Amino acid sequence: MKMTKSEDQMLDDLFALRRETVPVASDDLMARILQDSIAARTVASTPKPSFWQGFRDMIGGWPAVGGLAMAGVTGVWFGIAPPATVSNFASDLIGTSVTVDLFDDSSSFFAEASIDG
Amino acid sequence: MNAPLGSWRDAHDDAVLLAYANGDEEAARVLSLRLVPRVLGQATRMLGDQAEAEDVAQEAMMKLWKIAPDWRQGEAQVSTWLYRVVANLCTDRLRRRRGVSLDQIAEPTDPQPSASAGIQETTRLTALANALAQLPDRQAQAVSLRHLEGLTNPEIAQIMDISVRSVESLTARGKRALADILAGRKAELGYEDDEI
Repeated sequence: MKMTKSEDQMLDDLFALRRETVPVASDDLMARILQDSIAARTVASTPKPSFWQGFRDMIGGWPAVGGLAMAGVTGVWFGIAPPATVSNFASDLIGTSVTVDLFDDSSSFFAEASIDG
Repeated sequence: MNAPLGSWRDAHDDAVLLAYANGDEEAARVLSLRLVPRVLGQATRMLGDQAEAEDVAQEAMMKLWKIAPDWRQGEAQVSTWLYRVVANLCTDRLRRRRGVSLDQIAEPTDPQPSASAGIQETTRLTALANALAQLPDRQAQAVSLRHLEGLTNPEIAQIMDISVRSVESLTARGKRALADILAGRKAELGYEDDEI
């Protein structure tokens, strides 16, 4: 539905009235904006920490990294050079089939289940 | 404030922005003198409230300062970008006014008791601002850019990143919606209905 002429004129009048609004920027506003321009550039020029720097900071700095590295190396050493007692057990397991009887006759589980009722 | 130096006078906005990004403090002042009146004007005309408009102007300029290091020369005009930013910031604020009935419009903040014409003008401006707040964002933006800023449809299309046809549709629907919202207040706003 089209607007009536009067509605159109009313809107045009309101728009024209609003277009006459030409505010003047106060010295205070300009000062704040210029201050922001300095602040924005200061933030932009501050170097951002790298990912690894952030990670180090998160876990507690270089001493923690050293501990992590030692633990990592130690774990590798265990894997490739197990203690003698461990290596015997491991060699017994490897290459053999092992049967584990989960439910032997002496299990009380079955004893209870056989009760009538 | 002092006038900008002559060396900046012919420089495009984006060249001055580049200079600012490279640390030239004078460039910030030049840009502010050029752009803040435009930005403040657009915000004031759309919001109908100078205090809010000043907040929007400061926010918009802050966004410009922050984007300066990443601004790509020749891709877009600073003025186009700013029109878009201000329009979006204004519709954010207008959206907060939605749901307020026209009967709850605040009294004019600076009435002139002896000048009824002044009161009527303030009432009219307030009515327009609050009616604009009732529109969907895109309609409010299109109508404001067209009828308050006097921009052409191709310019508005670039600002809003839509087709010219979409601009025409949005402005037509927006005007229709504004007329509907204000219809009941014609007499109160001092507009006679010439339809009998």
